[in-house]
Amino acid sequence: MKIELKKFGDMLMSRPAGKEAYLAMSAYLLRDLDKNEVIEIDFSGVKVLAPSWADEVLSKLAKEYKNIKLLNTDNASVQACLKTLRDYSDFKY
Amino acid sequence: MNENFKKIGFEFFSKNFDEESLNYCRTRDIFQARLDSMINVLLKDKNQKVDHIYILSAIIGEIGNNSFDHNIGSWINEPGVFFSYNFNKSNLEILLADSGQGIYNTLKKVKPEIKDDREAMKVAFYEKVSGRAPESRGNGLKFVKENIKNTGSYLEFFSGQAVIKINENEIIEETNNFYQGCVALIKKKYEN
Repeated sequence: MKIELKKFGDMLMSRPAGKEAYLAMSAYLLRDLDKNEVIEIDFSGVKVLAPSWADEVLSKLAKEYKNIKLLNTDNASVQACLKTLRDYSDFKY
Repeated sequence: MNENFKKIGFEFFSKNFDEESLNYCRTRDIFQARLDSMINVLLKDKNQKVDHIYILSAIIGEIGNNSFDHNIGSWINEPGVFFSYNFNKSNLEILLADSGQGIYNTLKKVKPEIKDDREAMKVAFYEKVSGRAPESRGNGLKFVKENIKNTGSYLEFFSGQAVIKINENEIIEETNNFYQGCVALIKKKYEN
């Protein structure tokens, strides 16, 4: 399963927006998916990623699914945000 | 830079409140729309580095959204955020202010041993703690601190009677003035 984050917007900020994105993902993309399924999270097209949005989506995905792959993480804001999640939360990808 | 821009921001909720101001974001949606607009304006300016614009936008997003996250239902004065920016070919300045609970009042609910504004500031920027426990949160201001440094920017963040100043160094000081809620001033200089 590939999740293209740009389909949720290119400026991904705030917890309420992240919560809404995760709920939509859960209903439409992840429903009935095996917990061992590989989840590819594609950051291409994302311009701004803030840790509050990312915490609501990426941290929850990492808790639910065992095989997470991050794709196209070269954007500076994405890199900075992923570093914060790794350093200050249980997100280890 | 325009000193008036700072004065208006610092005093917006205490002396100069103007509901019609284009810098006043009563709701999160208005704040987000004005932040999106700022990004588009800065992207058209050739003096700006695209990577820095995106990271600074994430920083601004964290600070502004924190105001809404931590004060919804408990604003001290008017709800919302003052958000303004000012730039020329060599400088960018951004100012955010709210009239909410402030760092100390927010954190002492989950960490009662915090004794004053300075200690609260230290906990907010350095420790893994959520002001909205039992929800697991609390990484936003660490992101802000690290990326102010990584982008060569400067931050003064005021709350109560404390300020944290961050550039290549970090210092927390007591202030003479009392700041209800939080005020953040971000500065970025450009090498032309």
